[in-house]
Amino acid sequence: MKNDFSSPQRQSLLGIVVMGTDALQTSIRAWLPLFLLWIVQGRIPKLYLALAFVAILIISLIVGYLQYRNFTFYFDTDNDEFILRKGIINKTRIAIPADKIQNVNITQSLLQKIIKVHGLEVDTAGSNKTEVKIKAISHRQALSLKELLLEEARASVGENEENVERPLEQPQHPFIEISLMSLFKTGITSNYIRSFGVLLAFFISMLQYVDDYFRYTDYDGDVYNDFEEIVVKFMAFVLLFIMFLVVVINLFRTIIRYFNFRITKQNNSLLLSYGLINTRNTIIKPQKVQMVSVSRNYFQKKMDINDLKIRQATDIEVSAEKKKHALEIPGVDEQEKQQLLQFLLEKNPERGEELKPNFRKLVLNCFKALVIPLGIYFTVCALWAEAYDYIYFAVFYAVIVSLLVFFGYRNYRLYVNNDFIIKQSGAWDIQNEFVAPHKIHTVKVTQYFWQKGADVAAVKIYTAGGEMAYGVANYTRLKKYVNYWLYQVETAKQHWM
Amino acid sequence: MNNMQDFTNNTIDTTQLPRFEEVELSPLHQSYIKIIWINIAIVFGVVAILAGLAMYFVEETVNYKGYITIGYILILLLTITIQVVSYRNRGFAFRTHDVIYRSGAIAITTTIIPYNRVQHVELHEGWVSRIFGLATINIFTAGGVSSDLKIPGVEKEHAEAIKQLLVGKITDQEQKQEEKEQLNEE
Repeated sequence: MKNDFSSPQRQSLLGIVVMGTDALQTSIRAWLPLFLLWIVQGRIPKLYLALAFVAILIISLIVGYLQYRNFTFYFDTDNDEFILRKGIINKTRIAIPADKIQNVNITQSLLQKIIKVHGLEVDTAGSNKTEVKIKAISHRQALSLKELLLEEARASVGENEENVERPLEQPQHPFIEISLMSLFKTGITSNYIRSFGVLLAFFISMLQYVDDYFRYTDYDGDVYNDFEEIVVKFMAFVLLFIMFLVVVINLFRTIIRYFNFRITKQNNSLLLSYGLINTRNTIIKPQKVQMVSVSRNYFQKKMDINDLKIRQATDIEVSAEKKKHALEIPGVDEQEKQQLLQFLLEKNPERGEELKPNFRKLVLNCFKALVIPLGIYFTVCALWAEAYDYIYFAVFYAVIVSLLVFFGYRNYRLYVNNDFIIKQSGAWDIQNEFVAPHKIHTVKVTQYFWQKGADVAAVKIYTAGGEMAYGVANYTRLKKYVNYWLYQVETAKQHWM
Repeated sequence: MNNMQDFTNNTIDTTQLPRFEEVELSPLHQSYIKIIWINIAIVFGVVAILAGLAMYFVEETVNYKGYITIGYILILLLTITIQVVSYRNRGFAFRTHDVIYRSGAIAITTTIIPYNRVQHVELHEGWVSRIFGLATINIFTAGGVSSDLKIPGVEKEHAEAIKQLLVGKITDQEQKQEEKEQLNEE
């Protein structure tokens, strides 16, 4: 049965629940501080509080019902507009011309999943915020409304306009599905470095705390030594515990965020759908993809999983914050990685001529990450003798950072061929970034005056989805590549977007 | 990352390509150095007045008078050196297909933007540069704020002509693009 959307209609009756819950959430958020205060004070009898709570619940339901009553939507075929009315006291009428419709997303939150309804959002050109949200309709209705809207959008823009997604012909089989096992593997192997930073910060503050404790309680020497031993054991325990916690949190984060990750091919674009609590749907169009990066660490290599990040071109008005945001596909194996790269980059990326960094890169990184921080530390030590207490820390830092700098240098490579620029970097998580030359907008070459004699420099290329910098490396080779990239951009038949 | 069998090593014929590093760059207008001097004078003048007032009214500064003066002079000299060197290093060129701009004192950066990636062009005149009849050309791309280009110290008329040239190139590109799309449609 095909639904007719030409006359105003309401959402699914279960929309009352969704809207009521939203209203309840808002009122709870508003009243919670006051309630907590009353409970703590204990002056107002518990019964009254319970009554007040019930009142809020009832009011929320009524609000939900009224919102449901007043929420209607339909497609006005005379003016080619999608029209939505809402509001209890302040009534709003939103009209979206069909040619402004960019995309239609069907979403499902946890609550919507439980009561078996779907949400529908309409993305419009010219605003970064989704204004049009239908909170509860059946899946079949959602699909046919989506189809109708996209059909109308396409009709009003013109058949050849690629900006509008074509309607669903029929549900297709997922092209790639990320299994729970892959997510599990990703969860336990990723984000060590970030977590390590948190760990380090925690460790420092703990040390500080224990130190202060002994300083202000007057223990004599012997007892202090005993305690120190206990403290060391305690620290070791805490450290292990935090490491364990880091892994568990990473695991849960990954699974909740990326649960049931499905990738479907649809009219020359990829449809991504994932999430345990909030199901997200995203569309990736290869011509909008500007940069792709694949990363994995030693464990992930052994388990054959990769982490894919995709940067798409965003509208110029969109904030810089959003621009940095990359789409992530976790836990893909080697074969899936090849398939995805082939699809997103429209060609299987092969490594071309290799450009190694100059050894000055190693010297520079040592200076930045080792000499300067340790220099500052020892200067502080000279001025304030107590800082020597943290010498173990400095040694620990020096060892870890030396390893990171060394492996970072060893993995640092640039590969250039006719179709791709590939940069490999990273110490633990080894990352490969792929850029097609025709996506370049700007090239910058930077050389410090002391680098002139050694014929080394750094290069930075800018795309609409991010930047890629490489250096310090041989300047003659870099110049050759820059000239070649410019030639490629200036003669490119493909548009960058 | 990739397996060994993925490795290929095609040669790239780059010997015949035009070289950006060999392009003769035109320097900024001579009056631009005056603007630099005026800007330095204003900033350091204000700082000097503030420091003078502080020394006069705040008694605690008495002991530091010497340090403050030496620091001030050192920073002033450093600023002047960097500004003069950077003025000499700056230069631009408009080739058939791209714009080249070089700048910097300690690090020399050469920025190249192909015309077919330029989004739009603006002229900007500051109140000091207006006195000397100079303008700044702002060239915007979709590559983000840090990839945009500002060429200061260009004579107003010259800048206007350059802007027209760039706008012409952009519309040319767009027309070609449209023609291509129309061809595709047929």
